[in-house]
Amino acid sequence: MAGSQLKRLKASLKEQGIIGPQQSKKQKRQTFQDQKANPDKRLKKSEALEGIREQFNPFQFKTNARGPKFEVTTLKNANDRAAKGISGRPGLAKAAGEEKRRQTLLVEMQRRNKVGGLIDRRFGENDPNMTLEDKMIERFTREQQRSHKKNTMFDLEEDDEPVEALTHGGKEIFFGDEVDKLRDDFDEEMSSSGDDSDDSHAARKKLKRFRMEHGEDGELAEVDGEPERKKTKNEVYTEIIAKSKLHKYERQAAKEEDDELRADLDKALPELQSLLFQRSRAQPQAVGDGKAPVIIAGVEKTVLDKEYDIRVKQLAVDKRAHPADRTKSAEEKLSEEAKRLKEMEEKRLRRMRGEVVSDDEEDDEMAGGHTKSDPRIAGAGNVHASRREMIYGGDEEEDEYGLGKGIKLRPTATELGFDDEDDFLIDDDLVAGDSELDLDSDDFEGENEDSSEQGSDSDGDDDEFTKGLLTEAESRDAVFHVPVERKGEDKDGIPYTFPCPQTHEELVKTFESVDVTKLPVVVQRIRALYHPKLDSGNKERLGNFSQALVRHIAFLGENLEPHWFPTLEGLIRHVHSLAKTFPIEVAKGYRACLVEMSEQRPLALTGGDLILLTGIGTTFPTSDHFHQVVTPAILVIGRYLGQKLPQTLADYSTGTYLSILALQYQQLSKRYVPELVNFCLNTLCALAPEKPREPLGFFPLHDPPAGARLKSATKTPLRKLTLADCQPSHVAALPPAALASLRASLLNTTVSLLQAAATLWHSHAAFPETFSPFARVLAHLAAPPVAAHLPPALVVNIRDAASDLSTHLQRARRARRPLELHHHRPLAVRTYVPKFEDSYDPTKHYDPDRERADAAKLRAEHKKERKGAMRELRKDAAFVARETLRVKKDKDAAYEKKYRRLVAEIQGTEGQAANEYAREKAARQKKKNKW
Amino acid sequence: MPGSVAETAAKLASKRKRPENGDQSKKRRKSGGGEEDTELHIAKLESEILESKKHYNNLATLINLSEKLDENITTALAAAEALCRSFIRLLAQGNLVKKRDASEKDATVTTWLRERLAEYQAALCSMLHREESAIRALILAMALLKAEAQHLDDRDEWTFPRSFFLGIVAAVIQSPVDHLRDEFMEKFVDQYDDIRYYTLQGIKEFLDDQDQASDDQVRDIVFDLLLEIEDVPGSSEDIDEFYIDPPTKKKHPLYSLSQHKKQAQGAWLSLMQLGLSKQQRKKVLEVMATSIAPWFTKPELLMDFLTDCYNAGGSVSLLALSGVFYLIQERNLDYPLFYTKLYSLLDADMLHSKYRSRFFRLLDTFLGSSHLPAVLVASFIKRFSRLALNAPPSAIVAIVPWFYNIFKKHPLCTFMMHRVPRTQEERDLLEKEGLSDPFLSDEQDPMETRAIDSCIWEIVQLQSHYHPNVATIAKIVSEQFTKQSYGLEDFLDHSYGSLLEAEMSKEVKKPPVVEFMIPKKIFSRADPTADEKDNLLASLWDFSS
Repeated sequence: MAGSQLKRLKASLKEQGIIGPQQSKKQKRQTFQDQKANPDKRLKKSEALEGIREQFNPFQFKTNARGPKFEVTTLKNANDRAAKGISGRPGLAKAAGEEKRRQTLLVEMQRRNKVGGLIDRRFGENDPNMTLEDKMIERFTREQQRSHKKNTMFDLEEDDEPVEALTHGGKEIFFGDEVDKLRDDFDEEMSSSGDDSDDSHAARKKLKRFRMEHGEDGELAEVDGEPERKKTKNEVYTEIIAKSKLHKYERQAAKEEDDELRADLDKALPELQSLLFQRSRAQPQAVGDGKAPVIIAGVEKTVLDKEYDIRVKQLAVDKRAHPADRTKSAEEKLSEEAKRLKEMEEKRLRRMRGEVVSDDEEDDEMAGGHTKSDPRIAGAGNVHASRREMIYGGDEEEDEYGLGKGIKLRPTATELGFDDEDDFLIDDDLVAGDSELDLDSDDFEGENEDSSEQGSDSDGDDDEFTKGLLTEAESRDAVFHVPVERKGEDKDGIPYTFPCPQTHEELVKTFESVDVTKLPVVVQRIRALYHPKLDSGNKERLGNFSQALVRHIAFLGENLEPHWFPTLEGLIRHVHSLAKTFPIEVAKGYRACLVEMSEQRPLALTGGDLILLTGIGTTFPTSDHFHQVVTPAILVIGRYLGQKLPQTLADYSTGTYLSILALQYQQLSKRYVPELVNFCLNTLCALAPEKPREPLGFFPLHDPPAGARLKSATKTPLRKLTLADCQPSHVAALPPAALASLRASLLNTTVSLLQAAATLWHSHAAFPETFSPFARVLAHLAAPPVAAHLPPALVVNIRDAASDLSTHLQRARRARRPLELHHHRPLAVRTYVPKFEDSYDPTKHYDPDRERADAAKLRAEHKKERKGAMRELRKDAAFVARETLRVKKDKDAAYEKKYRRLVAEIQGTEGQAANEYAREKAARQKKKNKW
Repeated sequence: MPGSVAETAAKLASKRKRPENGDQSKKRRKSGGGEEDTELHIAKLESEILESKKHYNNLATLINLSEKLDENITTALAAAEALCRSFIRLLAQGNLVKKRDASEKDATVTTWLRERLAEYQAALCSMLHREESAIRALILAMALLKAEAQHLDDRDEWTFPRSFFLGIVAAVIQSPVDHLRDEFMEKFVDQYDDIRYYTLQGIKEFLDDQDQASDDQVRDIVFDLLLEIEDVPGSSEDIDEFYIDPPTKKKHPLYSLSQHKKQAQGAWLSLMQLGLSKQQRKKVLEVMATSIAPWFTKPELLMDFLTDCYNAGGSVSLLALSGVFYLIQERNLDYPLFYTKLYSLLDADMLHSKYRSRFFRLLDTFLGSSHLPAVLVASFIKRFSRLALNAPPSAIVAIVPWFYNIFKKHPLCTFMMHRVPRTQEERDLLEKEGLSDPFLSDEQDPMETRAIDSCIWEIVQLQSHYHPNVATIAKIVSEQFTKQSYGLEDFLDHSYGSLLEAEMSKEVKKPPVVEFMIPKKIFSRADPTADEKDNLLASLWDFSS
């Protein structure tokens, strides 16, 4: 379409048939006729004109600067405005905005600084399109609705139907939500006339809300195509009523159906019951039950319910409800036992490796699979911490390496009476040497038979501990609920009943009258008397009792008599059996003793402590990677072995005992105990007849106390060590010959212990380094000048050990390979290649970081809002300025007009006066002339 | 001014007197009023002295009274106070100053007065030895010192009554009263720069006087005193607190920091020259870098002492290390074969030593440089891992993370953890003969130990240490080295006690695992007929009754 604007206009007008060649009169008449017959044409004409106008006003539309988008690149449909490249109608939008401002801002401006006044908010008052009748009807319906709303709080149908709202021009009359709608006009009045600033603020808010609704700036919603035809109120209401009735009816029907079904079931119940209890209850009950439904709704309902409950419970308890286990053959039993043992062993191994072990089977699987990969992924410290947290039962503050806080202040260590490391402080005062409880051995005479009984007892498994406990049937018997009434004694003079001791003091008091060797019997009786099944409080009582018993073992150990060992063994086994039921209590008991040891006598352990540590070793699995009781116990042992600087032979004995214990702890897990090696080598060097000339290894060597060395003892017999050798008072009283024998025995035991240690640890990586000092020490001991002092049996042992060790060392050397610790899979370099999006939208942001994306979104929104608000404010300001200017102009014009009018008036009067004057003058002249 | 001094002295004295009043009154009642008379008598004597020259002889009476400490301590103290007041006043009046134009008679009086003053000072010094009178005597002495410094000399030149102060210092050192020294340090030495200066000088002179200083206990006291003089002034401007009016001359040694330091240095040196016991040596070395060396203007003077200590071996060496390092760092001391010496410190007792963590901190500095030869570093690693085989858990816990850091810094050493035989011959040889550790543990020179060809099997063995945490920490060498480094401080300060405490401070919440089988035998031996094995304890120990 070439040519100038004007030409094009003409062309398009012609095209539409609006202008054309001049018409004749006849033609004109015809068109007139046509128009009359068909008024549409006229409408069409105006429409066409409108179209042309739009087409020729380039500012009517806001278009895409680069023209419309290609069809291929857009998903929007082709008829859309956007597709045509029109993204807005600035003219219309501006006009609408202007109009809106005129309605709100202008009014506000005009009302500024004015007080009072009335706003007419009556419905439809200012609507010229409504007749008076319409208005009245609308007002009435609104009022009705409003009062109706209040009562419909529980109206079920309310949500189903659309809320009938008053509309005007297809829009809701109220902008706001329900709250606005329900608010009284009066309130609004009050608030709006309350104060000006608030008022304007509210108005602006309202304005904004309005604009939001209409998307003001961009696209002004086309105000076309009203909804087809609105239903009349009457229609609407009838529809609502019909619908709600239908709903109600349906619900009633459903409920009735349910009731019927339930009644049927109730009727059928007795039959069912009789079927169920046919075997247990014979005919008469069936008859009795048969009556029940007849009066089911009557008085007997409660009775029936009760009966029903009882039945249900009986059914649940009834053994016959469960399928019985098939009687198993002997092989099956064996295989099952084997399987169980295997499972236990597997669990133990897992604990030994420090992996997570839980009691449930399913968890087991999971944990197993999980922990396999665990240490590889996480750092050592973290794994450890999590494991520890698990073991202690969670909720502790994070201690990354699990080492605790370390030494906080030097004084804390010294306060406790021992210094750190090499300053070996010997505190002999701490040794509780004096024994109060003296045992008269006379008591023991008559008890032989009992001890033999004890011996036979120990052959059984842990059944023996529950042997003599009450059976379940007995437990129901009321007699057993009254415990300590019968005072009876058995043939040994041990009463049958005891109070259950809760603390160690009580325990000591209770056991005072009983001979020590009879204690296992007493404990057994107490356990039977206070079996947890008998009374609800018994559980706690026995728990406390087991703690006290643990302490008592240590207590007995303090004042040990050699013949007590079977008793102690029995007691430890009792504690073990108790630990199965009360693991926490027993663990606490042991730990309390350990705390006492470590705080009061870390380097002066007593016989009781030794017994207790032995007990720990048998009661708890020592192979666990970490154990709440075993770990502190081995630490206590390690501390003694590492820090004690032996001053007497008793110290050496104690250390040797602890070394044996430490090695026994590690029988299964084969963990390395450096302190053990140190102590044993030191013992060997200290007791050796001569001091080694050259250093034998990297272990710290302490100078032995004077006179500790074994000299010229070829005739001394070898024996096994006893716990009495650990008591300083006992050792001090020994004659020289016995002392020499003790020394030789110490040497002998230590050599065999180290031999055992070498066998146990022979597969360790640094075995040659660990045990070559031992080989050197043995060589030193077996060398002729030294060996000449030793008893021949010992020398033989030493030579045996040396040859044994040398084979071990050779084998270790042959098996040794360079370390290859780091065959790790190489770590992947972290990449940040973006993820491929299937439906990628460039306008969207694909930030993988959720938080950052949200923040960016919020920021963008805020920016947009700010811009919009600023633009609005600017427009408002322009409008206000324009309006004020207009007002001023009006005012000026009015003033000018008035001024002119006045001037004109004055001039007029003046002119009149002048004329008059002139006339007068002329008249006078005339007169004069006349004269 | 003189008046005010006298007043303060009097006030101080009265302050001291007040709490004792009760006792005095009791005593007085017992002794039947005799004491009150002496007090009145003293007051009278004092006022008479002030009245005229005729009564100067009263001074001698008072001095006599004050010297009788053993007989009546309250009287002696009262007399001493009265004397102090009198002398301060006399000093202020200028009666003790020899005037050039004075008559012979006056000169005699002055000389006599001076003699009395010296007597009085000696009396005060002897009072310092007494428990009851020490603190008061000190205050009196210091007040007198001030007055003397201000008035004794008529010339304008600034003087310090050195001989008197020397006496005070000597008395303070020799006094058996401990809190007197605390008081002296707290009230005077720590407060005033000039007092500190002259105290240090006094100590030096005291120590140089051989026959006095031979006593071991005295040495201990001097050592404690010197240790307490801690805060070295930062610059000459910081010296601004003076007990006695400061000298007018700006060039006076009192104003110079280096002079102050020189005094301290002299005091320390003369103490050290006396020869220290091992304990004292350890003490000195412990605070060497922090409190002693900063006082020295010429720390080189410490060189011999430190080198001797460093060569002594044992824990003394460990302690001397920080001092030597201070010299190397600050004074550019050239210590030949430093690393060889350091290597030799790693003996069997090192990891058991009390100063282990201290040593580790230093060692971390020494081996921190990435420019050290890998062979040397490897020697240290290998030696430590050997030692770790016999070390307490707390030491192992410190060593292994340190290894980690060192391996990170010296990647060449990582062959000690991971060495794959490359050729087939090598593999065959290994298969046939195994391997013996190429490390030469007896070699003194860390460059020649061949540790770099060795492996740290020891640490691998410690991965099965009995303590779970230690084992876990030892495992870090066989895991991937993803961490940048470990903070050593987390691992240094542990001990058996703290490890135990860490275990024990936690409550048992989850039931511990209990051994499934209740053992049939614990102490008793296994039945030889049954097919059972003895447990280790029962086989090695005798529990039979």
